[in-house]
Amino acid sequence: MLRVEGIEVFYGEFQAVSGVSFQVQEGELVAIIGANGAGKSTILRAIMGLQRCRSGRIVFRDRDITAMPTHQRARLGITLVPEGRRLFPDLTVEQNLLIGAYRRIDPAEMEEDLERIYGLFPVLKERRSQIAKTLSGGEQQMLAIGRALMSRPQLILMDEVSLGLMPKYVDEVFRTIEGLHREGVTLLLVEQNARKALAIADRGYVLETGRVVMEGEAARLASDPRVKKAYLGG
Amino acid sequence: MIWQQLANGLAIGSVYALIALGLTMVYGVLRILHIAHAGIYALGAYIGLLAFRFVPNFWFSLVVAMAACSLAGILVKRYLYMPLLTLPRIVPLIASIGLFIAMEEIFRIVAGPYVLSFPADPGLGSLQLGIVKITNNQLLVFLVTCILLAVLWFIMSKTKLGLAMKATSQDLEIASVMGIDTERIIAANFLIGSAMAGAAGVLVGVYFNSVYPTMGSIPAYKALAIIVLGGLGSIPGTVLGGLLIGVGETLLLGMTDIPFPRDALAFIIMILILMFRPYGLLGKE
Ligand SMILES: Nc1ncnc2c1ncn2[C@@H]1O[C@H](COP(=O)(O)OP(=O)(O)OP(=O)(O)O)[C@@H](O)[C@H]1O
Ligand SMILES: [Mg+2]
Repeated sequence: MLRVEGIEVFYGEFQAVSGVSFQVQEGELVAIIGANGAGKSTILRAIMGLQRCRSGRIVFRDRDITAMPTHQRARLGITLVPEGRRLFPDLTVEQNLLIGAYRRIDPAEMEEDLERIYGLFPVLKERRSQIAKTLSGGEQQMLAIGRALMSRPQLILMDEVSLGLMPKYVDEVFRTIEGLHREGVTLLLVEQNARKALAIADRGYVLETGRVVMEGEAARLASDPRVKKAYLGG
Repeated sequence: MIWQQLANGLAIGSVYALIALGLTMVYGVLRILHIAHAGIYALGAYIGLLAFRFVPNFWFSLVVAMAACSLAGILVKRYLYMPLLTLPRIVPLIASIGLFIAMEEIFRIVAGPYVLSFPADPGLGSLQLGIVKITNNQLLVFLVTCILLAVLWFIMSKTKLGLAMKATSQDLEIASVMGIDTERIIAANFLIGSAMAGAAGVLVGVYFNSVYPTMGSIPAYKALAIIVLGGLGSIPGTVLGGLLIGVGETLLLGMTDIPFPRDALAFIIMILILMFRPYGLLGKE
């Protein structure tokens, strides 16, 4: 479904991603793990079109999207749950969700999707007219996920969705991700929490200073001694 | 007497608000101080006057001026700001000031360095409210401002475009991730803001019966003070700021004997706001 071929991304003269290639198949849950500054977020931003690739190609469903503007990629069905949530701070919970469904027109469908999200995260329904920036961290994260789901995406890129959450919320977020995976949504996950990410993923890639250094089935990666030592705390 | 001054002040303030709205809308999406916006305002007065000489009807010249200014605003966005957007913000600011000065010179060359009169009569008549007399021209300013603000309010709070405009000003990058064509939303901000500046130009031209090349100079900087007072990027704050400054300077001038330069008030307020409440009256901290 998604094919990334040797992309290189620069910030000014600094090279953050050096020739990374990987694939995500339809319906797969793929995790990218790596230390701080390895380039994980940069890769997701490049797939979404928020960062320009100096070379390489990004192919989505046999279409070269390397030069496509972000909003068109969104219309193809790609969405991003960005690092740090990035809600629209002064809009209400419901407005944030409606923006998520911006590209759709049918109001009945929209209503249906709202109900679906509220079913998934009942707390958002209670707080539907609350201003987003006044939500707690956990609620904000759920809203960020809900907003992404409102577009009925085909491919969801998730950047550190469990960061800064208390364990109760972390489990809830991972359960949500597993649920989406079961429904057949394709997911590309970037996580600090490598143990949990590899536990639910089908496959994984290990990133080090802008390069893929290891790849394989998630279970195999999780039991690899080098991965264990570097990312799973021994 | 104070009520009469208040009516004068509100008329001036309405016009300030109309001018400053475009500035705040552009700042909201691009974080650029669009100084050349005041050039668009003066352009509106000239185009309105030109239209009026062909068809001597106020409403006709208002519509023509608004349309021409919308177009001019979009061209400025497309050919001045877009190519400079990746550079430090000081670059588009300097370019904007440059364009503003160039526009003033062009007005001078094309229309001459004179004060032209704009004798439009919208035929509204005047209104006597108790002891306060609302003149023909004041009535006109209030009416047009109310219509434009109502339209703007409707767009911003009742339409999908308005929601997308708010989202884009709060986080442009993520708005595009949500499928919003942010280039078009930015264009919509320029279009609406410039149309209102054009309307303000015609209103001022008629109100003071004068149109001249540097008529945008004071508004350029006063609008800056108004959006700082209201809170950068806040639309309700800008309207409030415009009205407050308009009323404030009129009252100060009309009710006291202090030889106070009218245009100084806005800037003194701006300095105080920057020192003590930098996010303005209704802006975000
Ligand atoms: N806007 C930027 N300007 C300059 N350098 C940047 C910018 N954003 C990221 N970088 C650099 O690029 C490299 C990769 O950053 P990236 O955010 O992709 O890392 P990451 O793997 O997501 O890290 P983390 O786990 O901390 O989120 C880092 O060295 C970072 O300092
Ligand atoms: Mg990151």
